[in-house]
Amino acid sequence: MSKKTKKKENIFRTLARWFVRVFFGLKYEEKWFLKKDKNDADEDRVPDDSEFIVSPAKQAFHNYLERKFAVVAFLVVILMFLIVFIVPLFMTKYSDSYTEVTLKNLPPNLTMMSVPSELKGDIKMIDSYGPFSVGLSNSGKVYIWGCKKLGASGMDVNIPDEYKNIPMAMVAAGVDHVIAIGEDGHIYGWGSDRFGQYGRSENSVTSPTIEAMPEEIYENGVDVAHVKKLTCGYQATAILMDDGTLYVWGNKQTYSNMDFFIGRTDIYDIDFTLNYIVALDMKQNGIVTGTRGLYDVARNKIGQKGVKMFEFLGDRKIVEITATTSSICLLLDDGTIALTGDFVTDSIEVPTLAQGEKFVDIKAGNYHYTGVTNLGNVYSFGGDHYYQAEAPSNLTGVAKVFTGSFQSYAVDANGDFIDAWGFRGFPLGSDDVGANILERIIAGGRITMTVGAVAVIIEILIGVTLGCISGYYGGWVDILIMRIAEVFSSLPTIPIMLILTSLIAQMSMTTNQRLFMIMVVLGILGWPGFASITRAQILVARESEYVTAAQAMGVREGRIAFKHILPNIISVILVSMTLSFAAAMQTETGLSFLGFGVNYPQPSWGNMLTKASNATAAKNFWWQWVFTSGILIFVGVCINTIGDTIRDVLDPQYGNEK
Amino acid sequence: MGRYIAKRCLYILVVFAILTFLLFSLYRLMPANRAYTDARAELQALKNSLSASERETKFDELYLKYQRLYGTDTDDTVILYLRWLGLYPFYDGKCNGIFQGNFGFSYEYNAPVIEVIGPHLRNSMLIGLVSEIFILAITIPLGIKCAVRKNTPFDRGVQAFSLIGFSTPSFIIYILFILLFSSILGWFPVSGMKTPGSDYQGMKKVLDTLWHIALPTICLIFSGLAYNIRITRASMLDALGLDCIRTARAKGLSRKAVIYSHAWRNALIPLVSVFVGSFFSIIGGAIFMESMFGFKGMGLLLFSSTKTADYDLIMFIQVIFVFIGLVANLVIDLCYGIVDPRVRISK
Repeated sequence: MSKKTKKKENIFRTLARWFVRVFFGLKYEEKWFLKKDKNDADEDRVPDDSEFIVSPAKQAFHNYLERKFAVVAFLVVILMFLIVFIVPLFMTKYSDSYTEVTLKNLPPNLTMMSVPSELKGDIKMIDSYGPFSVGLSNSGKVYIWGCKKLGASGMDVNIPDEYKNIPMAMVAAGVDHVIAIGEDGHIYGWGSDRFGQYGRSENSVTSPTIEAMPEEIYENGVDVAHVKKLTCGYQATAILMDDGTLYVWGNKQTYSNMDFFIGRTDIYDIDFTLNYIVALDMKQNGIVTGTRGLYDVARNKIGQKGVKMFEFLGDRKIVEITATTSSICLLLDDGTIALTGDFVTDSIEVPTLAQGEKFVDIKAGNYHYTGVTNLGNVYSFGGDHYYQAEAPSNLTGVAKVFTGSFQSYAVDANGDFIDAWGFRGFPLGSDDVGANILERIIAGGRITMTVGAVAVIIEILIGVTLGCISGYYGGWVDILIMRIAEVFSSLPTIPIMLILTSLIAQMSMTTNQRLFMIMVVLGILGWPGFASITRAQILVARESEYVTAAQAMGVREGRIAFKHILPNIISVILVSMTLSFAAAMQTETGLSFLGFGVNYPQPSWGNMLTKASNATAAKNFWWQWVFTSGILIFVGVCINTIGDTIRDVLDPQYGNEK
Repeated sequence: MGRYIAKRCLYILVVFAILTFLLFSLYRLMPANRAYTDARAELQALKNSLSASERETKFDELYLKYQRLYGTDTDDTVILYLRWLGLYPFYDGKCNGIFQGNFGFSYEYNAPVIEVIGPHLRNSMLIGLVSEIFILAITIPLGIKCAVRKNTPFDRGVQAFSLIGFSTPSFIIYILFILLFSSILGWFPVSGMKTPGSDYQGMKKVLDTLWHIALPTICLIFSGLAYNIRITRASMLDALGLDCIRTARAKGLSRKAVIYSHAWRNALIPLVSVFVGSFFSIIGGAIFMESMFGFKGMGLLLFSSTKTADYDLIMFIQVIFVFIGLVANLVIDLCYGIVDPRVRISK
């Protein structure tokens, strides 16, 4: 074949040609790559021997297909690659550094939005502040759904048996406790009481950072007919009476302004953000927090700039407040709403209502608000991380809405359940900052697999090039390269990596540069294996006839090494590549596990397991490491199986052993 | 033979010098300036009676003093390296480096590096030796048995185990073991080298230590099994396929003699490097095991000193690792000579 008729070779074409030769045989390589030119003189020549001979690689490929397990392993690895590289494109809400304090350490659970069927026709109220929701039926029965065993404290929030038959009038839920007021006025609490969430334990009475439940209501309860509002915060509770008397208790470390409210009798409305108690006093002209300057600018829309509260209100009065963890929604006496506080960045804007339409009921979750208007339309707005602020547009007959921490529920006038939207739960649980483990496994897989793949590519580039040079030229070049390889392979990998990565950590780099450096370091430490394999193969190949022929024809030495010998040893490199890929992934996860590779917030399968080195955490929060290590082992087994099988099928004795 | 060893030792020295120089240059990149910190500290300790400019000059004076003391009063890496080795005099005209027995000073432990490293190295060698003996005692018979009874259910079972074990990062194995034996069964302590607050003497102390290092050793043995079984089986299979084995069988030798005498000797040749290598790698820091169990070995020392940026210590640990790596290579070569009569290493 003359040089003129041949299509210009480039690196991709060469690689594709090798691929074809390895997997389909020389025949196809000639057919597809070398005979493009139709006017070629020997177009209709007699097929040569290569058509009747199955190339060793082709034979190996057929043998590989015979091994079911290996084929499955191959498909699994491909699938994994696709998942970790494609799925993140659709995880639009995902961010590496996402944290959510109310959803920490939750076990796998998808029932956070599942209202029990007995409650569905008879809903009086629903409340939630964290991973579980509490509902009350009109007959006074309490239902709990969601994560009932809380990861953070191992606390069971199911209603205790002795309270089950007591008809309740009101319920509210905090992050790890539930408070209910019985029809008889007694106040019942269950869940965690470590921070004085309910009852008067010795700890809660004596501790300076806890405000215990007031003794009078603990002993005598309250007049249930005159309770205006029962609401729970993070680990605190407030009961507001019609006459403005306020009872508030709970964890003072979370709510530092609690002292300001103790014993107040002039409160009109009250709610909890994550760090402050916010209230409306009888003047109804601003938010009372006991801290100057807090929540004193208001606006109509999330995106607007705030104006001073008194200017904003003019002579309007606030009639109701409801608070998320960081913002407050104010219902004014002219039927409009106002907002104050901070909203998360992915918030959905407040809807623009039609003329004459106004909100009659508005409830707050942890980041979102859901309201129903006098026309029966339901709108949600605010934080939308779990799609809790995207109300379905086809709801009819809605009379009341309720919100969980990350859910919204629409209910009709009879208390019948209509629809719910928002957060179902974590399929694989949540980690110690409240992030979704499934999402982090996928995003972490992308990083772990990228690091492994790029490291192997670097290893191959260095190793194969040096191996070719060393094996082909021999002499002092060979000795020099092999000595260097020996030195590199005698270095203990993990300790050296530890030092190099801590060196990298000292330099000021962006996270991606750091990641790249880790790949480079892994690659640089791993090349000697490839070099010696390539060299050994080349030494064998150099004695073969086709090389002798090429030499006799006067082909340049470098060309023989890279163009004639290399394609024929590529299958051996393939085996080594798969096994090295598994090894590089293991090294990366190991380093990240120790805190020297990929660092939080970037996820990697290694650093997601760091917490599990604590035996207590490993035992209590099993889901935080079982799934991650499971997938790590699974992918490792698959890749190693592929490597093993390729090696077996390349062995010329493969067929004989049966 | 003697000549060969001498040659190899010379080679090791050269490589050692090159590598340590490279590492030393790398360390120079780290933003640590002991003279500066010490000068600052001493200046802080002085009474605040000095004026700003006086403090300035006093600081320069102190800084120079400390730089000269630590031998960092030059930017020439070669000189610094030679000083570290003890081949180039400090400002006061004396050499004070590795050749003089000064291996550096650990600021974290407030003791000379050599004293810090001593017990750790001993622990690592001990646990490395013990677990390597167990690993070999388990894997060699198992690997041979698998190879001989190839494709039987027994072989497939062991193969599956070793594939999974080989694909599992060692730290996951440790997590599982800690969970099972410490957390759930409560047989062994979770971590540490001795019962906290105890002050046992004599036999009781030995027993207490044994009880504490039992689980780390078991973990180390277990995590070493998978790879070694794979390798032993593979090389035994290769050996069994040799022509000489067919000849031996045809001669009518007993099955035992064929396997253990003829085949095993051939299989041992590629295995030597694996076995020796794995022993040295345990000494060079079973870093996951040590950091998870709080086992005071080289790995933990390196781990904690990189966290606290204790540079003299890191540098010297690194030197030891490089040294161990090179010695391991030498030992492997020598072992080849022992197990493989074809290797004429004396040439």
